[in-house]
Amino acid sequence: MAVFWRWWGRYAGGLLLTVLILIGAWILRETNGAAIREFYRLLNLPLQQRGDEQQSLIQARTWQLEQQLAELQAENARLRQLLNTPMLPNLEGRIVPVIGRSSDQWWRFLLLGEGSRQGLSIGGVVIGNGGLVGRITSITPNTSRVMLLTDPASRIGVVVGRTRQMGILRGQLNQQVIVEFLEKDPKVQPKDTLFTSALSSLFPAGIPVGEVQSVELEDPTRPHATVILGVPIDRLEWVTVIPYAEPTDTFTPN
Amino acid sequence: MLNRQTHLRQTSLNWLVIAGSVGVCTLLSLIHVPALEVLAPDWFLIWVVGWSVKRTVWQGVIAGVALGWIQDGLTSPHPSHAVALALVGGLTALMQKQRFVSEDFISIALITFAMAMINQTVIATQMSVSTDLPLQDIWQHHRQVALSSAIMSSLWAPLVYAPLNRWWSWLQEQE
Repeated sequence: MAVFWRWWGRYAGGLLLTVLILIGAWILRETNGAAIREFYRLLNLPLQQRGDEQQSLIQARTWQLEQQLAELQAENARLRQLLNTPMLPNLEGRIVPVIGRSSDQWWRFLLLGEGSRQGLSIGGVVIGNGGLVGRITSITPNTSRVMLLTDPASRIGVVVGRTRQMGILRGQLNQQVIVEFLEKDPKVQPKDTLFTSALSSLFPAGIPVGEVQSVELEDPTRPHATVILGVPIDRLEWVTVIPYAEPTDTFTPN
Repeated sequence: MLNRQTHLRQTSLNWLVIAGSVGVCTLLSLIHVPALEVLAPDWFLIWVVGWSVKRTVWQGVIAGVALGWIQDGLTSPHPSHAVALALVGGLTALMQKQRFVSEDFISIALITFAMAMINQTVIATQMSVSTDLPLQDIWQHHRQVALSSAIMSSLWAPLVYAPLNRWWSWLQEQE
């Protein structure tokens, strides 16, 4: 017993500190670093400039609108035959600054400077100048984390604008994005534009995603195409967040 | 009595320095320079190496686990960064730098370089085991990432290590 007390007297302080440190680190882990993110945003506040980005925002939005228009025209043609098709979503959202990136080269995130206090929520769809960026996966009162399309864990149902061919868009480790097609002979060619598909439950249908760069059909088990994203994800400083909830079975036309 | 008070003050100041330097490294890791994604150093790794160089293996391992968990919180906990960083902390402490390697910035940079390689290799191994990504992609990515991370981390390491080392050796002299 005496030995134990002597041992305790000698190491109790260190032991307690160790436990405290590990508990603290674990809390940070479980809260997705909420405290650190909030603090980082606070430090970053003076660095965020507002307003003078308007011009470039408008320019890039033009490309996005053109793509949406092309999509709408194709949609319209089909609507004449098929009256029950759901309408395109309304892409009005909140413009939010990007304040940071992931500190890791294996996962890709964006850190946004607004959070639940400004009305954002998990699942919110993030769109940049040029198309889809990703979705919000974690949120604190003043920051939110966005999983990017280029993240290796990201999977999104897409559709080829010209032929309505379905595919699955996957992020890769090397920052590329590829689309895997379900059919052996996908009718797709370079320069085809991709949109989010109506079958994807995480995103509203019809948001432009990117353009097909090259098609590789040699491997019959995995026909796929390399895609250039419409959004310059590397240089994003502002994004638009659209609140989005998974649709229920019945479509509500808007 | 007086001696005891200054000792207490130094100890609490030391903890403040430790927590503050970890905090700075954490915030630095969120900063992003557009189009230079590949060139970001691994600040957590740099701190763990700087901490472990003159400490025992267990101190290195625990620091590695703690910082690994913090990094998990900021990126993704699957797979955990704690495994790799704990290994880095333990190995760095095992090297017993003061005995085998001369103490200067170059050797710190070299140790950081090697540890960054090990760190990325462990993460790549974890990725291979726990995700369904193609192995070929993982290891190809590992090649690029490990080298760039090692180079950048070893370049920045002396900046973190120098002030911390000076502070800790000053503390040791006082005792």
